[in-house]
Amino acid sequence: MSSLLSPEQLRLQDAAFEFAQRLPADMIERDRSATFDRAGWQRCAEFGVLGMPIPPEYGGLGLGLSDLLAVMEGLGRGLRDQGLLFSLNAHLWTNSIPILRYGDEEQKQRYLKSLCDGSLIGANAASEPDAGSDIFSMRTRARRDGDHYVLSGTKTFVTNAPVADVFVAYATVNPALGPTGITAFIVDRDTPGLVIDRKLDKMGLRTSPMAQVVFDGCRVPVAQRLGREGRGVLIFECSMEWERGCILASCLGVMRRQLDECVAYARTRKQFGKPIGKYQSVANRIVDMKVRLETCRPLVYRIGALKDANQDATVEAALAKLHVSESFVKSCLDAVQVFGGYGYMTDLQLERDLRDSVGSTLYSGTSEIQRNIIARGLGL
Amino acid sequence: MDNVRELVRRFILDNFLPGEDASNLTDSTELKESGILDSMSTLKLVTFLESQYQVEFEADDLDAGNLSTVASIAALVTAKQRG
Repeated sequence: MSSLLSPEQLRLQDAAFEFAQRLPADMIERDRSATFDRAGWQRCAEFGVLGMPIPPEYGGLGLGLSDLLAVMEGLGRGLRDQGLLFSLNAHLWTNSIPILRYGDEEQKQRYLKSLCDGSLIGANAASEPDAGSDIFSMRTRARRDGDHYVLSGTKTFVTNAPVADVFVAYATVNPALGPTGITAFIVDRDTPGLVIDRKLDKMGLRTSPMAQVVFDGCRVPVAQRLGREGRGVLIFECSMEWERGCILASCLGVMRRQLDECVAYARTRKQFGKPIGKYQSVANRIVDMKVRLETCRPLVYRIGALKDANQDATVEAALAKLHVSESFVKSCLDAVQVFGGYGYMTDLQLERDLRDSVGSTLYSGTSEIQRNIIARGLGL
Repeated sequence: MDNVRELVRRFILDNFLPGEDASNLTDSTELKESGILDSMSTLKLVTFLESQYQVEFEADDLDAGNLSTVASIAALVTAKQRG
């Protein structure tokens, strides 16, 4: 299981697992009330999660992506709050990384240190009510007015929006240009005209807050433009490439925890006079969970190796996203089935894992979109 | 100009047409209509050309008409170089 990681990465992963187990375990109630764990966020930041891929000159630890993936897997194994992990991922891949890679020096100095130490929470405002998978058909406008842009439009499915301090937002400077008119902006929460319109309730990942965001004549200084005009697609795809490849590392940890729990249960739970693991139909289900975990891990860690070598990982990230997310849902369902009626009960927390997993085939590009990317990579 | 055309052709073949017979990509092949260049690949090509030739493309330069064929892309790069 460990050959994909160096001894130092294994040490980091173990430390993350132990750290995660010390975080509050009151998940059932917080899931019901959809409550974000701000204190847990801060403790994760102090542990170093938010600064790991950011260079030291901007307040980070400057570690490689492979190191962070190892940590995320450890956190996923030890922490029951997948919503918090999802929020951490959204902050990292769609806010901190685009600012690091496309921000000018002043922007990096202004935002990254606080994004690393947890005092600022980042969000990404891209999807719109009529622009989901077809993201570049977005209608939000950015009209130049002197030394400002005036943003007008509605964004939806904005993870972290109710608690976020800074948004990376996308709008078109000229709809006639299509995708090549899309431009990225860094928008502070307190900018007049930025309205957190309504909080969105959802099936899983309920402790990760989500809302609709309205830009109502929101005046953003030109100095807050991220990258050049018309380069928003490049910035968005960069963040998606990182997110697709990395957001499911914590799910590997959940799959491993479920596998351990299922094996332990199948060895001790007796029905008809023998452990249920001695029945082939139960054992095979657990074997399938093991096979999925072992085939998912190399795909995720390959992204780390490619990005650490500054190589393109567009197709590899789509492959990882597709296979891990679909395997994750299947294994969560199998875990419930192995535990039978107990697995269906809230107390065991496997039903929440299952609800949390369903979003994985939807966010950061649906499975259908991942297949499109892979097909294009094959020259189809 | 010929060098620019060849570089554009080579970049498109290597990055967006894996396994394609090079003779199928001519100077006049419609890149957008045939689906060879989408928004993402266009921006990757533009970023490469900016770095290679030390020129800057503005948002309006990225209009589909300017980037419809290898020949039109090479003409735009050459015009940018002349200022």
